[in-house]
Amino acid sequence: MGTLVRMENVTKVFPGVKALDNISFDIQAGEVHVLLGENGAGKSTLMKILSGVYQPTSGKIVLKGNEFSKLTPKEAQENGISIIYQELSVINEISIQENLFVGRIPTHKRFNIPVVDYDYMQKKATEVLDKVGVKRNVQTFVEDISISEKQQVEIAKALVADADVIVMDEPTTSLTTSETEHLFKIIRQLKAEGKGIVYISHKMKEIKEIGDRVTVLKDGTYVGTRHVKDVDEDDLVKMMVGREIKGTYHHPTITDFSREKVLFEVKNISRKDQRVKNVSFQLHQGEILGFAGLVGSGRSELMNAIFGAEPKSSGAIYLDGKKIEIRSPYEAIKHGLAMVTENRRETGFLDNFDIKQNMSIVEYIKNTVLQGTTGLVKNKWEVDNAHTFVENLKVKCRDIHQNITELSGGNQQKVILGKWLAANSHFIIFDEPTKGIDVGSKSEIYVLMRKLAQEGKGVLVVSSELPELLSVCDTIAVFREGQINGIFGVNEATEEIIVKSSTGQIEKRGEKNE
Amino acid sequence: MNKKAHVEKMSFNMIWQKYGTLGIFILLVLVLTALKPESILNLQSIPQILNQSSVNILLALGEFFAILIAGIDLSVGSVAALVGMIVAKMMVAGVPVLLALFLGVVFGGIFGFMNGFLVNRTGLHPFIITLGTQAIFRGVTLIISGARSVFGFPVEFITTISSRIAGVPVAVIIAVVVAIILAFFTKKTKVGRNIYALGGNKEAAWYSGVNVKLHTLLVFIISGICSSIAGIVLIGRVGAAEPAAATGFETYAIAASIIGGTSFFGGKGKISGVFVGGLIIGIINYGMTVLTVPSSYQQIVMGSLIIISVTIDRFVATKK
Repeated sequence: MGTLVRMENVTKVFPGVKALDNISFDIQAGEVHVLLGENGAGKSTLMKILSGVYQPTSGKIVLKGNEFSKLTPKEAQENGISIIYQELSVINEISIQENLFVGRIPTHKRFNIPVVDYDYMQKKATEVLDKVGVKRNVQTFVEDISISEKQQVEIAKALVADADVIVMDEPTTSLTTSETEHLFKIIRQLKAEGKGIVYISHKMKEIKEIGDRVTVLKDGTYVGTRHVKDVDEDDLVKMMVGREIKGTYHHPTITDFSREKVLFEVKNISRKDQRVKNVSFQLHQGEILGFAGLVGSGRSELMNAIFGAEPKSSGAIYLDGKKIEIRSPYEAIKHGLAMVTENRRETGFLDNFDIKQNMSIVEYIKNTVLQGTTGLVKNKWEVDNAHTFVENLKVKCRDIHQNITELSGGNQQKVILGKWLAANSHFIIFDEPTKGIDVGSKSEIYVLMRKLAQEGKGVLVVSSELPELLSVCDTIAVFREGQINGIFGVNEATEEIIVKSSTGQIEKRGEKNE
Repeated sequence: MNKKAHVEKMSFNMIWQKYGTLGIFILLVLVLTALKPESILNLQSIPQILNQSSVNILLALGEFFAILIAGIDLSVGSVAALVGMIVAKMMVAGVPVLLALFLGVVFGGIFGFMNGFLVNRTGLHPFIITLGTQAIFRGVTLIISGARSVFGFPVEFITTISSRIAGVPVAVIIAVVVAIILAFFTKKTKVGRNIYALGGNKEAAWYSGVNVKLHTLLVFIISGICSSIAGIVLIGRVGAAEPAAATGFETYAIAASIIGGTSFFGGKGKISGVFVGGLIIGIINYGMTVLTVPSSYQQIVMGSLIIISVTIDRFVATKK
């Protein structure tokens, strides 16, 4: 086995920040090298240097024995580097086969004029699709395939490009358990063919399952490289955060909430698009209610309908026993609801606002009339408010005037939490609250959720990470095809039961609270 | 690449963002002074430049809001012409001047409302909607005027608009007052903040409680009102309402907003920048007039300026 890539003493300085400090990293043929670190540790920066997106400030990169002081994206590609980003870069509007050959369309001569060689494209595309296990016609438009298939198409694209090194940036974020299994199968196959895989992930379980070696970065510095078989989860967490914390947040006590006051109730909510069908549930004082289910089972759609962000066709919502009318997020906010959305960038924060402005907008709108159009901004309050929540939530930032886009994912999420807490929300929906967030911030968010519930606030959590639901929630509702397929107390729920319920292997059980 | 070079480059971007507009303005003044000193260095020139800029500034102030929400308003020139014509007709028909002016502004608001309503209802980009309405408003202007100029306004109207207070033309005072009100609106009011939020990220603003449609409507109403004030100032200065008045002025308004630092991608920009942007348009027009450049060339310069400033904006925006 040979070394495919060697990065030596790579340093990258951005104005005011040393993003990478003297990092060395190598990739061997036939291995899965996991790159681990909290958000902002420098993983993405290192990989962007490898793919030629960024130029290192100092250091060198050795590819196939050739030394480079910096790479262009083209050089990286020509030397067999291929990156699959978390936000996939497939083009929806063209077919799978065209996606596979973007930038390298094969041609042959017809009447001495080079024209696209569709026969070759189709043959090669069919071959690689087969290899990665996508059972689709190569002419299918990419917009018509699922997220996991898109990811497989990305891998196929790397194969068409004849990549030796494939970097996967948190590839399982949007995948279900069975899709993840399938991905691992492909990775093992690539390993066997002598490709090198760089696998960026926060999920400890996956690292143990698929990784050969693991390199940990922390705040742009190199912590160490280990063989995965020599370390356990707690060792890795310790390396990442540089302090001893419990691997996961532990559930405090198991309480029976059924005799507590009903804080929030939803009756027979449906949506016109049939993504949510006749859903009812109750949330008791002090209880954290989780929603499990496959991606696309309708959980986010339910939350959006409750919050008024998307229309519901029927159903009633009760808060503290009173029926409330919610037709828009504005009305939801007026009633004290909050929603930490799944996609921070698209629906969470405002990228043209700094930290303090992001943290004040909801409070401003909540305390106005006429749809948020009355009243003046309060400069002093804005600053004080931001200081309070930056401190309470331990947001790592230069100051409260910093633009939110410059923060890491975990810190952005904390700012979003701050904006809802600043508005004194008393019913908070968390939709995938820890997606793409480092371990440290994760456990802080779990602790915060429990604290909110204990303060008498309502907490709903949608998550695709079962350990997260099992450690945070008191009750777990399993969603399947737009309906609640079962409600389990945390004492009776296990990963196995939830998976079976969400895939329909367990039939609908007598729903609690009806 | 070393660290120092990078830092310097960054600070160039920051300086550009902060003072770029002002820099262009000063540069233009210097160029004009060098080419034709007597055109700048006399007591009359500055009030004259300001006076000529006032209509552009007023139109640009309204356009600013449309661009701030990542939209555009192509109808500002047509609305100015139509409102000017309506006010002119009313005054000539004997409606009291103040009432006519007030109704003119109300009409401006209504025309803006129509733009906003159509944008909300159809979900189409404001470009399409206002491309349509600018032709419609222009057509209505031609119909109600019979394609003829209207003049013979009450004397007090003409003298007021073209008079000076402490040496400052009234038209300029109107533009400054509108700009101050709007600066307060954008900086200090919640609704102003919401419009920035909407421009930065429509979806995230919606989830934060911003009523997207209402704020879109407000933006176009503001644009309509600014255009109507521009239309009134225009007929006062010219002394007549012409059916083809302010044709192509949307180009100037867009140019002034963009040169004034408003991001074409929404969510970023300042009233003070737009004001200076309007002055830049004014000084280019003035400069070319005193240098006896044919007016057709002014169009070429304006078009080039839009392209150059958006290019710089894009360059700075993606430099993060």
